[in-house]
Amino acid sequence: MGTMGLALPWKTRITSALHEPAAIGRWETRVGPSEHLTGGPAQAGAKPANEDAALAAACRAGDLRAYERLYVLHGARMKNLARNVLGSAADAEDAVQETFLKVQRSIASFRGQSSFVTWTYRILINTCYDARRSRLRKKEVTTDDDSEETPRREPRAPGAHPSLRIALVRALEKLTRHQRDVFLLYEVEGFRHAEIAGMLEISEAASKNTLFQAKKNLREMLEPPRSSAG
Amino acid sequence: MNVTCKDRERIFEDGTAAEWAALAAHAAACATCTEEIRTWQSLSVAAKELRDYSPIPGLWSRIERALIEQDGRKARRPEGKWWFSFLPNVSLGWQTAVAGAFALILTASVTWIISRPVRDPGKQDPLLKNAALKEVESAESAYKKAIDKLAAEAKPQLDTPATPLLASYHEKLLVLDSAIADLRAQGGLNPSNAQLRYQLLAMYQEKQRTLEEVLGAGK
Ligand SMILES: [Zn+2]
Repeated sequence: MGTMGLALPWKTRITSALHEPAAIGRWETRVGPSEHLTGGPAQAGAKPANEDAALAAACRAGDLRAYERLYVLHGARMKNLARNVLGSAADAEDAVQETFLKVQRSIASFRGQSSFVTWTYRILINTCYDARRSRLRKKEVTTDDDSEETPRREPRAPGAHPSLRIALVRALEKLTRHQRDVFLLYEVEGFRHAEIAGMLEISEAASKNTLFQAKKNLREMLEPPRSSAG
Repeated sequence: MNVTCKDRERIFEDGTAAEWAALAAHAAACATCTEEIRTWQSLSVAAKELRDYSPIPGLWSRIERALIEQDGRKARRPEGKWWFSFLPNVSLGWQTAVAGAFALILTASVTWIISRPVRDPGKQDPLLKNAALKEVESAESAYKKAIDKLAAEAKPQLDTPATPLLASYHEKLLVLDSAIADLRAQGGLNPSNAQLRYQLLAMYQEKQRTLEEVLGAGK
């Protein structure tokens, strides 16, 4: 690996941030990603386990306010994750709705082996990939990427850096499904490896290793071509 | 702790906080590691560009309506399970025992239905006239459609039954499926045999009721 940064327009921003010792401290101690979610949606594991269990029990009892609470805590993040998997805001909203309906239908079979929120995200992820597959079947398009469709991408919130986002989105589509899922869950949504392990039904070590492979691949894809003079 | 360039990738993958601190200290005097760390970290920064948690107007109301509607559909289903409604309040051991007895009775009743003597179909059993045959066929097809829909809904609960009761329903459905397959095979040889066709209809009816009970039990 050469001593070069990524060929992306935001490199200068990162460079300046990393000259500050405090910035190094931020990433080197990143055990949980909650620090970058301040003011954003709740962490799956940030709430005490009993609150998670209480939410599950209230949903099981059919309390609509419990579903609303789940939505208030996680709706925006669920939709963001779904949009990054599906590439369309409308499809993402459908996936979130379908997830809530599936939770309502199968809450009786939830046995608390993982947290209720983790279980909900697992349903969401499966729902998103079901939607991708059914979209693929409808269009009868074949691609060489895990036999999955390349999602459509939509313009997003103002303030985002379009070229950076587009470059990353394209690179993410070239990852395997697992690498993409782990990258999105960890780096974008800020879940911990223990939580991701529960969502994807893999071990924590596998989650860490998958993230590492994902980032290695992304680094290669986003690096500028090396000069032969080296 | 002393780390070198060789430790960098391993720390990227699974480094402890102390190892990251040691790598940062090493990077202070190593241009290669400084740049590699920056590149690695820039991916995390870039990822935040994919985050948009702005409010989604109308989504909750849409979900809420769909939840109420789904709950209403569930409530409107025929209640065949009232005699099991006490089960969630009794111990798992009792549930298992009751479910076991239940499965035994069900298996016996299914066996009884299919093993009733079928006399020489060509002679003693009334044959269905064309119009009646069509009626029976259309009833069968209506049952099959309803059953397919219910089976898809009940699949998650049956695939991983959460209670002994659900497990026994699963077993009952397997018995019914095999009985239906037998009757269909016999019916295929003689489609106008009334007794076979009505037995088959009874099986479909039983399967539909069972699936409805599964969905009710999962509530
Ligand atoms: Zn070094």
